[in-house]
Amino acid sequence: MRSPMNMGKEKIIPIIAMVVLIIGIISTIYVHASQIEKDTIKINGQDFTIDQLFSIGVTNEIETDEGEKEGIALDKLMVAVGVGCTDCHKYTIKAKDGYQQTLDWDILKTGILTDYGRVYFPDTAHTFWVRDVIEIEVK
Amino acid sequence: MKNLKLLAGILVFGSLWGFSECIIGSGLSEFGLPTGAIMTGFFAITFLVISRMTYRQPGMQLGMGLVAGALRLFNPFVGCHLCSALAIMAEGAIFEVIWYKISLDLTEIKPLTMQISMGIISAYFVYIGGYIITQIFTPIVSGSGFFIENLITFMPNILSSGLLSALIGAFVLPVILLTKKIDLRLKDRLYYPTTIGISVFCWLFVVGNWFLLS
Repeated sequence: MRSPMNMGKEKIIPIIAMVVLIIGIISTIYVHASQIEKDTIKINGQDFTIDQLFSIGVTNEIETDEGEKEGIALDKLMVAVGVGCTDCHKYTIKAKDGYQQTLDWDILKTGILTDYGRVYFPDTAHTFWVRDVIEIEVK
Repeated sequence: MKNLKLLAGILVFGSLWGFSECIIGSGLSEFGLPTGAIMTGFFAITFLVISRMTYRQPGMQLGMGLVAGALRLFNPFVGCHLCSALAIMAEGAIFEVIWYKISLDLTEIKPLTMQISMGIISAYFVYIGGYIITQIFTPIVSGSGFFIENLITFMPNILSSGLLSALIGAFVLPVILLTKKIDLRLKDRLYYPTTIGISVFCWLFVVGNWFLLS
């Protein structure tokens, strides 16, 4: 014979599972509906195409644990787009899927932005390697 | 003696879990598959539930997470070693919390609906829990600091990415519980050589690869 507590669990656990599935489905719909499609990257309030950024930036190569990566140096890029007192700010790098990471200048200055819109840093966790970058907000 | 047996169990199941994360996970990732959800929904849930079913010892899965996470730190194939190691360790702990009120003989989850439901709940929360923990702790450990708005903005993606894991868990858990009818216990004289042997193989394989590739 089942105890009353077991009978309670037999009701509540399937309900929680249903709620979990509903949350997952609604989130999936929301994520797909809110994807931002744009060909430019906003830096410090101004929009640039990747080509424009490569024309004003300085190309650099860095060594990561996934091999060498080439792109424009983020330290020079920030200066080129008019950020003053670069080490006074924090930098939030945002991706088109909503992912974002906030970095200090000490980390940002070591990084690059590739021609396929991904940032890499030589000595950080991959959490900071934001892909499909659409904005670098200077705070 | 019983504690030693449990320790060997933690070591072997944790090593198998870590090995699958390092070696099989890297393979899946190369094919562009959603590695995290598959690894949690299938491999993590498999090892966690089998160990729970076999040893019936709360706390064991926490230990397995620590062993698997430690092994993951040595993996050279897939990046973000720290994030993955933290995620795995958290997954073991979250599984313990979810299964805390479930009896150790698993009689409560005999009905198929309960098995599917527990598969969904376990896989989903273990996966998103691990994901959230890494999003909080990796920036802290890396020294750049944690910013709550970064997590909130990305939360819908995290909640969404757990769906696949939940669906895999819904299928995997009932299948694992079918193996309850198979006697997985080893004879005493074979227990230690087998568990230690498998664990050593997993560690040598992963660490050996790390040395070869670094």
